[in-house]
Amino acid sequence: MSRSSRAVITLPKTAKRGEVFEIRAIVQHEMESGFRHTEQGVRVARDIIREFVCTYNGKEVFRSELHPGIGSNPLFIFYAKAEQSGSLEFKWTGDDNYLTIVKHTITVL
Amino acid sequence: MRLLGQLALLGLLLAAPIFSYADSRISAYTLMSPSNQAMQNDMNLNPAMFWIMDGEALWADRNNPSNKACVDCHRDAKQSMKGVSATFPKRVQGKLLNLEGQINQCRTMRQQLPALAYESKPLLALSTLIAYQSRGLPIAASRDPALESELQKGKLLYFQRMGQLNLSCAQCHDERAGLKLAGSVIPQAHPTGYPIYRLEWQNVGSLQRRLRNCMSGVRAEQYAYGSLELSQIELYLMQRANGMRIESPAVRP
Amino acid sequence: MNQRRIFITSLTALSLSPWQSASATPSEAMQAMQRIVGNRPVNTGRIYFDLPPLVENGNLVAIKIAVQSPMTQNDYVKAIHVIAEANPLPNVVSCYFTPLSGKAEVSTRIRLADSQKVWALAQMSDDSFWRTSVDTVVTLSACTEMI
Repeated sequence: MSRSSRAVITLPKTAKRGEVFEIRAIVQHEMESGFRHTEQGVRVARDIIREFVCTYNGKEVFRSELHPGIGSNPLFIFYAKAEQSGSLEFKWTGDDNYLTIVKHTITVL
Repeated sequence: MRLLGQLALLGLLLAAPIFSYADSRISAYTLMSPSNQAMQNDMNLNPAMFWIMDGEALWADRNNPSNKACVDCHRDAKQSMKGVSATFPKRVQGKLLNLEGQINQCRTMRQQLPALAYESKPLLALSTLIAYQSRGLPIAASRDPALESELQKGKLLYFQRMGQLNLSCAQCHDERAGLKLAGSVIPQAHPTGYPIYRLEWQNVGSLQRRLRNCMSGVRAEQYAYGSLELSQIELYLMQRANGMRIESPAVRP
Repeated sequence: MNQRRIFITSLTALSLSPWQSASATPSEAMQAMQRIVGNRPVNTGRIYFDLPPLVENGNLVAIKIAVQSPMTQNDYVKAIHVIAEANPLPNVVSCYFTPLSGKAEVSTRIRLADSQKVWALAQMSDDSFWRTSVDTVVTLSACTEMI
């Protein structure tokens, strides 16, 4: 059983062939660093997203390995080159069976 | 002679704006770095967006004994909640209620659900959703004459010294706003952005959380969440900031 | 007089004695970079690293890193790594690009535990490395909170 949360993707609906367009991906996740302590001095266990991958028609466009040093609700703004119309898939995986997948389509003119 | 008089009058009228009282109230937004300001302005970057989405889900949730969701009475929040948070705290059925109190009153009376605890995710989600609908609108603090005594009590609390450090809100936020406290610029403390996503909390929080934070900062015993004292202070703060633009949900360091 | 001075000096030495710190050191950051780079040489520069010199709160710091590159199959940026000298862990994030990325540019939001030097390390498709650093001062809010 996997846990999931909300993700918001911002990218243009259309792009010209060869154009480099911006993608914003933000996902709801506390990114518990594992370095915090409760008032009683008990360490709060690490619980973070470990990897984020964006593929465009199956080909990898951007990937990141996240560590506890990434802030809550991880945001990545990155780019992709418009080649063909199709779909972009955004996948986040992390501790404790965390998995979120979001798909978006783009039309390349 | 008559022309001279008319010219003098014209001169006075033109000069009047120069001597008019300029509003010196500024939001803590102006003290933030450009990247934090951008984080607040762009809802695409503002972490509070997730609380708004949670709030939208709750708005339509009929899972309660009365089988009623907020949407059944209030329809689309984007329309019905416009300007609403700008008017709280106010008198509702004789009691001074802030926004959280009003939400809980709806929950307990209309949905037959238990009240939501302060700083709980669902209450923050709903208050963030509602407050967001007032973004850009001016604060319209209650002018209800029946609340005059509550307002005066709130003002008294604002000017009253408290805690082991024996400081009043006014001493920092009226007298010393703009000066520095341990490297941070002291803001004027206007409630224009609540609920806020505070980087320090890594979370969205209410005005009451922030007020309690101040009280622990001067090492005073904090008023309880939902207490009358905190509502009175909220009422005074809203009066003090009346007319200022709402930024909810704001980002603060 | 001499004895008192010795006494005070030794007391000071005791109070300043090193304690178990939960933060990395510059040398740990260098080791983290070493693990990525191996024996290969590292050039300085080429990377645009936007990190504010004064941070209001270290819990969420917006950064942007860009490397000019044609991003073709023969010449592109393979990876950009962010290493922080005074965080509990030196590795903050590693971002991987392909020619399909179009631009070797990424913005994200990181945590900074303290005032420190932060490194951006770029690996090119020909396995050459570039790095640059930014020094930043991280402040905290004035009043502590008791929840």
